[in-house]
Amino acid sequence: MVVPPDNAPPDNDVLWARSLHHAHEGSPALVDVSLAVREGEILAVTGPRGSGKTTLLNCLSGHLVPDDGEVWFNSVPVHTMGALTRERLRRDRFAWISSSPDLVPELTAWENTALPLLLRGEGHKAAKATAVEWLERLDIGAVARKRPAALLQAQRQRVAIARALATAPSVLFADEPTAPLHRSDAAQVLRTLTTAARSHSLTVVLATHDPEVAALADRAVPLLDGRRAASAPVAGTEGRAACSLSA
Amino acid sequence: MLALRLARGTHPLVLLRRLFVAAASAGVGFLLLCTLGHALSHPGQTSASLLRLLWCLAPLAATVQFAVAVARTDPSTRPRPGLSAVGLGPARLAATAAASTALSCTLGSMVALLVFLHLRGDLTGLPFDRAGTELLAADRPLPLAAVVILLSLAPLTASTASAWVLRPRGGTRGRRPVAPRGDGVRDTPAPPPASSTPHTTGTATLAPPTPLAASLVTSPPAGLPWGVALTAAGLAVETYASRGGGSGRVLPLPGHADLAPAGVLAGWSLTALGLALAGPGLVHLCGFLLQAVRPGAVRLLAGRVLQGEAGRIGRPLGVVCATASGLIAATTLYSRAPGPSFGPLTALGAALVLVCTTATLILVALETKQARTATTRALLRQGAAAQTLRAAALTRLVALITLFAPVTWALATLAAAPLAP
Repeated sequence: MVVPPDNAPPDNDVLWARSLHHAHEGSPALVDVSLAVREGEILAVTGPRGSGKTTLLNCLSGHLVPDDGEVWFNSVPVHTMGALTRERLRRDRFAWISSSPDLVPELTAWENTALPLLLRGEGHKAAKATAVEWLERLDIGAVARKRPAALLQAQRQRVAIARALATAPSVLFADEPTAPLHRSDAAQVLRTLTTAARSHSLTVVLATHDPEVAALADRAVPLLDGRRAASAPVAGTEGRAACSLSA
Repeated sequence: MLALRLARGTHPLVLLRRLFVAAASAGVGFLLLCTLGHALSHPGQTSASLLRLLWCLAPLAATVQFAVAVARTDPSTRPRPGLSAVGLGPARLAATAAASTALSCTLGSMVALLVFLHLRGDLTGLPFDRAGTELLAADRPLPLAAVVILLSLAPLTASTASAWVLRPRGGTRGRRPVAPRGDGVRDTPAPPPASSTPHTTGTATLAPPTPLAASLVTSPPAGLPWGVALTAAGLAVETYASRGGGSGRVLPLPGHADLAPAGVLAGWSLTALGLALAGPGLVHLCGFLLQAVRPGAVRLLAGRVLQGEAGRIGRPLGVVCATASGLIAATTLYSRAPGPSFGPLTALGAALVLVCTTATLILVALETKQARTATTRALLRQGAAAQTLRAAALTRLVALITLFAPVTWALATLAAAPLAP
């Protein structure tokens, strides 16, 4: 990379990272990772466990400030922002789905879905309408008044997806969104997610270790041991086994 | 040995908590020994000595409650997924917690014994030698068995209570979730008022939540009607017992132990027990009111969390309220009663009860915060500003104070009214 540091990234990239380095209390997690996410695409970040996918997503979404390197969102530098500005950016432009639903146990499904809207300062009525609409679109309108403890795991994960989609984010980060689900549920959840992303032209950054999941994306960025691997499929036992399964 | 080794590596703040337990235990031990001294120097006044012993139950109960709260929030007694595989499972950890509680309480009792002997003049060479000779019956030999029994009271009760509270339950289903989640509330009905003071009831029901209780927020805690009924009954008993006026029939405070209308004491105990039982219901009600009628994010979070955590935080809060109202009433009475104002031992006991109950409340609040760590992290991930979460916490605090301060004040006034000379 020979781009001078003050140069802004190209305009068609919504999210752009250059030579990211990050270490968790000394143990290196990301080593010199660069990538660009185009507007409206679904980008898969693939790699086995411990390859730095979550750290990369955290750096891109502004949860972590990388030790070294740059992150730009819509030609705005994220790595130089203060904590409050990053918080506001996350609230207003980003959404996050993690491998566990991470719902607030005291709130019902629709309240969980409406929570980001309420946090943005929207009115109670409008937030409720949007939340219920999204829950119905994801086929869980019937359980909108139940609390997370009374739902099935797949339903909870769908509530988490509805919560992420209800805010109409610019970029949706999904970190192993299907990890705790059985295969049929996982396929359904993924289909829902990708369909919603395509129909609303959302930009999605999807971290996964599963080549089948990665196959749904427009493009894949393989990571290995915190570095960008060659674009070829990951070599190794896990990759081979997965390939033979998908063949 | 394991308890000692775990204690050696813990954070200084955690050790400080244990030191506080030791200090509380020392205070209780000293009070009990002073009661023994009173009994030795006044062999004729059996009922007065007995009354002093009974008054010692309140600090003892508060200390036990505090010790259990410390044991519950102790990071070294939390189940660890990795260590369960090497044999350090929940049962072993409960035993460890009981051992460390017994250790700190015994340390406190030893300190109490040393101070007592020093003040009696049995140990010399330090300032304040023989400062309390008459008070502590220095002219008579101490009965060894009585001293041992009195001093082992706090360590035994506290360690038994913490072992009971932390005992593994639930057979095949794991009792304490490895990552404690704040989504469970004990939905068992309030226990019958079996114990002598409200504080012991408070400790016995301070059990950790079951994971993923399905009916968590929807059903309010069941104790509210019981609590209200008991409080009302306590006030009625007290008023009935103190009817007839007369300057002689005021409350038997420790410094004025010449008279003993047991009805008043029973009334106060009932009132306090009722408040402790009503606490969770009141907190739940508070949360309900907070999140009613089109809430925004802050009110919604604050109210629902209060509703969800009512079972955990309500009981210590009720106990603190009962203590505060009792202290207010007692102060009012002391200021009106003829004769000497309260002595150093009464002050020690009252301070012990107040500090222990307040510290327990703070610890339980801390435990609640720890249990909600995962939820808080998830909320921050969803873009909730830290400021919003702080605002929600502040709203909860203000709401609780708004509800509980008038209740405390009203109960104190009602409790003091019939006893006014």
